[in-house]
Amino acid sequence: MAVIRDPMPAFELFQPTSVEDAQALLRRYGAGAWVLAGGLDSFDWLKDRIKRPEAVVDLSGIPELRGVRARGDGLEIGAMTTLTEVVRHGVVRERYALLLDAAEAAASPQIRNQGTLGGNVSQDTRCWYYRAGWPCYRAGGNICYADTPESINREHAILGADRCVAVNPSDTAPALIALDAQMVIRAANGGERVVAAEDYFVGPGKDITRMTVLQPGDLLTAIRLPGAWAGARFYFEKVRDRQVWDFALVSVASAMVVGAGGAIERMRLAVNGVAARPLRLQAVEDLVRGRPANEATAAVAANLAIAGAQPLRFNAYKVPLMRNLVKRAIRGVEATTWAS
Amino acid sequence: MAERLIGRNYTPPDLVAKVTGRARYAEDFRADGMLFTKLLLSPMPHARVRRIDASAALAMPGVKAVLTADDLPDLGGGERALTNEPVYAGEPILAVAAVDELTAAEAIERIEVDLEPLPFVTDPLDSLRPGGPNARLEGNAWGAPLPGGQGPGAPAPLVTLKWTPQDFAEADMGRLPMGKPLEEWAYGDLDGGFAGAALVLDETFVVQSTCHHPMETRSAMAYWQNGKLFIHASTQSVAQTRGNIARWVGMSPSDVMLICEYTGGGFGSKGGGAVSSVIPAFLSRKANAPVMMRITREEESYIGRARTNMTGRARIGFAKDGRITALDLYIVQDCGAYGPLGDHRSAGLAASLIYQPPAMRWRAVNVITNTPPRSQQRSPGPMQANGIIEPVITKAARQLGVDQVQIRRMNSPEGKAAFGPAAGPGGQRAHVTSAFIKQALDRGAAQFDWEARKARAGQRQGSKIRGVGVAVGPHGAGSIGFDSIMTIRPDGRLYVQSGVGNLGTHSVIDLARVAADVLDMPWDKVEVIWGDTGKHLPWTCMSVGSQTTHAMTRANHAGAMDTRRKLQEIAARDLGGSPDDYDIGGERVYRRGAPGRGLSYAQAARRAIELGGKYDGHAVPEDINPMTKESAASLVGLGLMGIAKDNYPRDGVTYSFVVGFAEVEVDIETGKTTLIDYLGVGDVGTVINPRSLLAQIKGGSCLGIAHALFQKAVVDPRYGVTLGDRFHYSKPLSILDVPASMKADALDIADPETPVGARGVGEPPVGAGYGAVLNAIADAVGEDVFRRAPVTADIVLTSLENGRRMHDPLRAHV
Amino acid sequence: MGILTWGRNPWDQPILTHISWDLFWASLFAGVAFFVAHAGYMVFSTHRKRHASETDAMEAARADLPPRIVRHSGVARAFHWVMAAAMFTLLLTAFLPIAGVKFAWVTWHWTAGLVLTGSIVFHIVHATVWLDFWSIWVGPADLPELRAEVLRELGHEVPGPRPGKYPLGNRLYHLVIVLAALGVVASGLVMMVRVRTPFFTRNPYLFSDATWGGTYVLHGLAGVALVGLVIAHVYFAVRPEKWWITKSMIVGWITRRQYLEHHDPDRWAVNAGPEPRA
Repeated sequence: MAVIRDPMPAFELFQPTSVEDAQALLRRYGAGAWVLAGGLDSFDWLKDRIKRPEAVVDLSGIPELRGVRARGDGLEIGAMTTLTEVVRHGVVRERYALLLDAAEAAASPQIRNQGTLGGNVSQDTRCWYYRAGWPCYRAGGNICYADTPESINREHAILGADRCVAVNPSDTAPALIALDAQMVIRAANGGERVVAAEDYFVGPGKDITRMTVLQPGDLLTAIRLPGAWAGARFYFEKVRDRQVWDFALVSVASAMVVGAGGAIERMRLAVNGVAARPLRLQAVEDLVRGRPANEATAAVAANLAIAGAQPLRFNAYKVPLMRNLVKRAIRGVEATTWAS
Repeated sequence: MAERLIGRNYTPPDLVAKVTGRARYAEDFRADGMLFTKLLLSPMPHARVRRIDASAALAMPGVKAVLTADDLPDLGGGERALTNEPVYAGEPILAVAAVDELTAAEAIERIEVDLEPLPFVTDPLDSLRPGGPNARLEGNAWGAPLPGGQGPGAPAPLVTLKWTPQDFAEADMGRLPMGKPLEEWAYGDLDGGFAGAALVLDETFVVQSTCHHPMETRSAMAYWQNGKLFIHASTQSVAQTRGNIARWVGMSPSDVMLICEYTGGGFGSKGGGAVSSVIPAFLSRKANAPVMMRITREEESYIGRARTNMTGRARIGFAKDGRITALDLYIVQDCGAYGPLGDHRSAGLAASLIYQPPAMRWRAVNVITNTPPRSQQRSPGPMQANGIIEPVITKAARQLGVDQVQIRRMNSPEGKAAFGPAAGPGGQRAHVTSAFIKQALDRGAAQFDWEARKARAGQRQGSKIRGVGVAVGPHGAGSIGFDSIMTIRPDGRLYVQSGVGNLGTHSVIDLARVAADVLDMPWDKVEVIWGDTGKHLPWTCMSVGSQTTHAMTRANHAGAMDTRRKLQEIAARDLGGSPDDYDIGGERVYRRGAPGRGLSYAQAARRAIELGGKYDGHAVPEDINPMTKESAASLVGLGLMGIAKDNYPRDGVTYSFVVGFAEVEVDIETGKTTLIDYLGVGDVGTVINPRSLLAQIKGGSCLGIAHALFQKAVVDPRYGVTLGDRFHYSKPLSILDVPASMKADALDIADPETPVGARGVGEPPVGAGYGAVLNAIADAVGEDVFRRAPVTADIVLTSLENGRRMHDPLRAHV
Repeated sequence: MGILTWGRNPWDQPILTHISWDLFWASLFAGVAFFVAHAGYMVFSTHRKRHASETDAMEAARADLPPRIVRHSGVARAFHWVMAAAMFTLLLTAFLPIAGVKFAWVTWHWTAGLVLTGSIVFHIVHATVWLDFWSIWVGPADLPELRAEVLRELGHEVPGPRPGKYPLGNRLYHLVIVLAALGVVASGLVMMVRVRTPFFTRNPYLFSDATWGGTYVLHGLAGVALVGLVIAHVYFAVRPEKWWITKSMIVGWITRRQYLEHHDPDRWAVNAGPEPRA
């Protein structure tokens, strides 16, 4: 039973035009169904012949899942809106530049043209042992190949590891958490529920084979951005090896409202690339409230942020990296004056 | 007289096809009844095939044939397209031909291969430890080349080498163990050099392996017709791949029709083609139908070749003024599962050349590991030498208070500089044909505004620190002795046969510019014929080792001079006088002083056909290669044939040099390095094609820059399996990782030992970019922060955070 | 229904990963089925106990005995209940996620496993040094009791031996649970190397795939066995006619009458003495 990684096996392709039809298909095929958004995560799995769905349900033909619309004092972004569309949207640019920065940091222009916001937040981890098809915990086995004395785990987790040490790869996820976005989920039975972005993601302790709360048959239909954080002082940074087409080593996203006296009135802060789910750092948010957005506050907060971090053999750098990014989110980055 | 073509930009004739997608690469071809093949790869890094049961696969509708190693001829123990003893994970074991790829893949999933795991090793030092595993049943290292062996891939015996526990005593401290070497040479008074040194530094550096990953994978399509093999493959060298394919299949080269008009890059991984390309040839014979083999990116990361990684230790003595007094270099090379490769030898010679130590010792072991096979990758050896030695030079300059440009300038070769051991027949050392590095350093320092940039290096603004670096990348840049064929036909046009591969360098066309210049032929009347051995190509150098421009401009200069001489002879024969009385110009050969008295090229071509003999190719020179003779025989009678071997003298070994200047900005809060500016200045002889040359300097530098910053190959040591088996894991450079205004320049000083003055350029910029960026990072954050490449954010940040170097000191493939 | 779950390692070799979780459901079903069957049987049971008159006579004869007889020391009871808590924690953390209730269970599981291990070690030492080690054990000497008890179960009045301190069923149960618990504890301790704990450097490569496979299967088999055994145990503990035993595990003593009614005073000799504290 030899293993071969190409080409994509055959499956039934469905291109429904409504969420109801899509969910009817998901019900019909149950565990044999695969939801396809932009395809950038899916096609890897399919072409590698690791995931072998019976039916692929392509959401790209469902108009109600696309586009950015006003909703109350905020925005509602259809889950199938491409990252490029998000980046180019005037209101996003004007009021939610944090999301713009995060979406623009994802992958490459071609991938952003194809990749969707819903897909970006719902994508699977990129742990290279798991993606190679090795039978690890996340794949239903009982071993983590990335956390052994010999593993090459520079890109793995320092926080929240529970058997599995994979990290969440999404660039937009921490930005959405910082913006207090709400994820609109249509359950298999047609019922709709709304969960906060930070609760959308699950760690391996809770469910080692999933990245999000989506259960079979569930669809993420839209992402709502409340007005509460529009136009706040934003900070996004993604540290990666290459400036394009690379996942974050660590990323940070924050929204901050600073009062007249220079004190932080409120702040939301999230990091990614350090755990299997993007982490909202509530303790840091609480700590900085009422304090000035300066180096001293940043230093205290950043040390709090990394409390409990447990590095692996090759990823100890993520501890200072996360600490420094949290610092920057609070006190900013000094510009340089060199001419070129 | 037409304006000289050499030194001028032009639009190559293949450009439109390339940018419009009309160009057809190997996998774009189709043939009636064509089957597709998929490969079954070894999941284990070393195993023996005990049993293969393909019955379930063969029973599937649409499955036409299964090919195993048993169907292939033995190649003297060398690497074959399929194997029964895989020595690296991902090595092909069998291939299935079916009506489509989906069927072939499903067939492979129904094949049972019973593999017996064998001992394996992925880190060369692990193999050298007492009791360490051997990568091959026959041994763990390549010994010194057999007598008479020459060149980087010279045949060598497989031996078993284990070092003692004492040898490893300091390994944990990051010092490369230096047990018994398998190869060594020395010259000068090494002990005296160190004794007289004001400063002696001893440092270890780990140079990474990287997969070549050309844009086009090594796909191939093949079919048989009337006993001839027609094969569409991807190669850097059309003329020299035909013989390889013939050898791999076990047939006569003249029955191989190799078609490769376009090659999507090779970087050394397709120098003489790819051994895997014969899989469709064998399957086609077995299934009696054309067979297409499309290699996936994942497969490419296993079978697509990779750079040899080296862990080197350099002990260098410096006088107070920065002059090197002695260099003791030890290299442990990881040759992968096959080989032998001679990068370690090229590295030793390059070190001797560009740093000109008066005394030097080179020692090396060439270890085999169960990792994907290596081949020469753009600057094989010299780039690694840059990596091993540049950090030491940088550290010495800092400690001695000498400027980084100056320390390299004072130690650089000049003119016919000697290098390497005294290995000549008379005990003399080799020397280069020419070197103008000092001029290149001076020009580069001025253009790069070195002094101003140096002044701000080491300064910190916010979390950012700037640093500047410079390095000299050398590489052998030219061979000699190849052939050319060209014809002036009755239509008055010049047809130049080019056996060069079209791997993106333009040398495939550039060589005809030389011929056109010699014959004063306008460029629009020149046709270049390339990319198909059925089109009668001359014996041509391999397009590896930066040799093509040098070798083939010489050959085509010789061929053009032969053409010119024949024009003169025909004119003299028809119009009287001696050939020397005739000159050429305006597409005519005419009597000097009487321009009206002469023949047009078209007339001369007709006369050549009438005259026959040597004029139209009926008689050819004795000294040309049989392949050239065979091609000439097919072109006979088409016009006036110029045909010659490059017999021009050459005093010295041809080397080219590129000096790289880099400025980086390191963010000490993230560890991330950003390349701010880069300049490459070439000492590469006469410039033939400026636009292409500068693109080569920039592009080659980019490869080195990527090696300095993030490109790598990673292997899981437990299972011995490549983890970076995807393009994005390998992290080749992206356009946003280099400054928009990256600059390049060339001295354009002719090399005195070749009639055209041109040397090759492909490789030297790699080491220049690698060394310059490594040096610039060291300049910014301190030269002790890293001793391995790539210098990624994790290395810089962790070391700065802890106040000392923290990375795993010696481990390979991390 | 599968017994074992197989996977393929990165070298595409078959590896044993663990038992099939079908076995968990089977054990759960077996446990429940047993108590349903047994409860049904008990309704119609003709179990022959000592006649009340017989017991009255014995009680009169043994008036020297204190009215309350110590059956489980405080230490033994503490052990029992700590172990029970650990066992319930282990079973719930192991099987609730499999049953679909998702939560972060691993740390709870191995912590409870360590508590169980500690209490077992304590119990072995305690039982060996301070208790009558052999009183809980089963051996060939118990055959007459087995025969007598079976006959009594069938409604016969037979003279043979009555239970000593621990009834035979009790002791047989103990034997099985000793095997299961030792299996689960031994394999579980080894498996802690596979996860992150403060005690070891995590090393899933410590053993070969085959050894790990065997360890996981042992752990799984012992674990699902415990599901059934614990159900049976709890069932008996709550049965009305056994309640006096359960109560003794809480309060530590039984009455003189219970002692004489259910036990063979020759096989569990109790000396006259002060009344134990309640």
